[in-house]
Amino acid sequence: MLRKRLIFGLIYSDGFFTQSRNFRLQKVGDLKWLERNYKFHDISFSLDELFIVDASRSERDQNKFAETLRSIANNVFIPITAGGGINCMGDADILFDNGADKVVLNTSLIKCPKLLKSITDKYGVQSVIASIDYKILNGEQVVFISNASEKIAYSLTEYIKYIESIGVGEILINSIDKDGTGFGYDMETSHEIEQDVKIPILIMGGAGNKTHLKDGLESKNISGVVTANLFNFIGESLPDARSYLIENKINIANWEKNIT
Amino acid sequence: MKIAIVDYGMGNIHSLNGALKYLSFSKIILSNKIKDLESADKLILPGVGNFSAAMKELNSLKLDQHLKNLILIDKKPILGICLGMQLLCKTSMEGGFTNGLNLVDACVTEFNKDQVKVPHVGYNQIITNKHSKLYSNISESPDFYFTHSYKVHSDENICQSFCSYQDDFIASFELDNIAGVQFHPELSQKNGLQLLKNFLDLF
Repeated sequence: MLRKRLIFGLIYSDGFFTQSRNFRLQKVGDLKWLERNYKFHDISFSLDELFIVDASRSERDQNKFAETLRSIANNVFIPITAGGGINCMGDADILFDNGADKVVLNTSLIKCPKLLKSITDKYGVQSVIASIDYKILNGEQVVFISNASEKIAYSLTEYIKYIESIGVGEILINSIDKDGTGFGYDMETSHEIEQDVKIPILIMGGAGNKTHLKDGLESKNISGVVTANLFNFIGESLPDARSYLIENKINIANWEKNIT
Repeated sequence: MKIAIVDYGMGNIHSLNGALKYLSFSKIILSNKIKDLESADKLILPGVGNFSAAMKELNSLKLDQHLKNLILIDKKPILGICLGMQLLCKTSMEGGFTNGLNLVDACVTEFNKDQVKVPHVGYNQIITNKHSKLYSNISESPDFYFTHSYKVHSDENICQSFCSYQDDFIASFELDNIAGVQFHPELSQKNGLQLLKNFLDLF
């Protein structure tokens, strides 16, 4: 049976990894710092997939980000999804060339509508994850692009239908309200969304502990949960969360502990 | 031990290279030159993309016959990964009917899009063949990472292990010095690292 996935997201900004709270970024440390203080390489053995997103708000240093990506890709043995600010084919190519297995698109799905097809023609439909950021405003799920600064005309449900129709591999739904809070995923929206979407749905925003991950994965049509909460999932807490999920019969992969 | 990754321009080799280094195999060459491949003790044929385009690439580099000689006459161990596994087979329907390297009596066909989501992407469990060396020291029904739209079938005994996605398809085969895996061991955590080590130690 196809497994569900536990995914960690690294939010990169101007040479540093960050902790995001409601899309405001707090610098945590660079790659060396991450390795030294968070033993990131060990933690990666408890994951099914890794997201690395360049959320730099100022001008992007693409080559530096690609270097960071390559350095991580050489040392983790799971698929990597990279993205952030992909506006043209060259932006996507550089990520694939440096170890990304998939790319994530968000604002460019609206701003550069032809880009998606160019990428999927070259790398396959499975190589693109569409990321959708939303907020609850007056009880409505409203979609935002450009780092949560610009509202679009679609409702969340309409937008998901549209994204599904234009052909992407997976859809990631990210709650701006819950981002970085540690209060748990927006399960209400997840339950509503999952009803009739035919491609894999991933949820992000709000996971603060292992029961939140379990709640998300227990949702019938959710294929994976993403957390980017560096503070809450350091040290032993990710390996511990994975064991907890398996003990609770969540359908995720079993990994060997040692190599003999 | 010297390991050559056949680099014919198709496939993401960062993780594969990293995996071999993690396993402390340091003599790794990425090459499409016949001389380099001849000098290696073991070969790995990776690959992501279209079968017919990949065969054209191998043909234009004049690698097809040389690879066959190295494998059939010199008996060099080879591990085909994903598209690399499919290239070891007789034929594929991808990109029109195309002949493969024909080292293993198996054919490649497309998943039925009406029955299952295509491509088959993600971690899936496999039922291992008890005679297989690839799965030594790996627990029962192990998980591996798949991403493919075409699958391998054979009526022969090629020591096949199976994965189920609507119907069973061949997840791996091994015949003497020739092994192939449909999944990506380099993206399958320690299950995959152990499998790579098994190929390098036991073949």
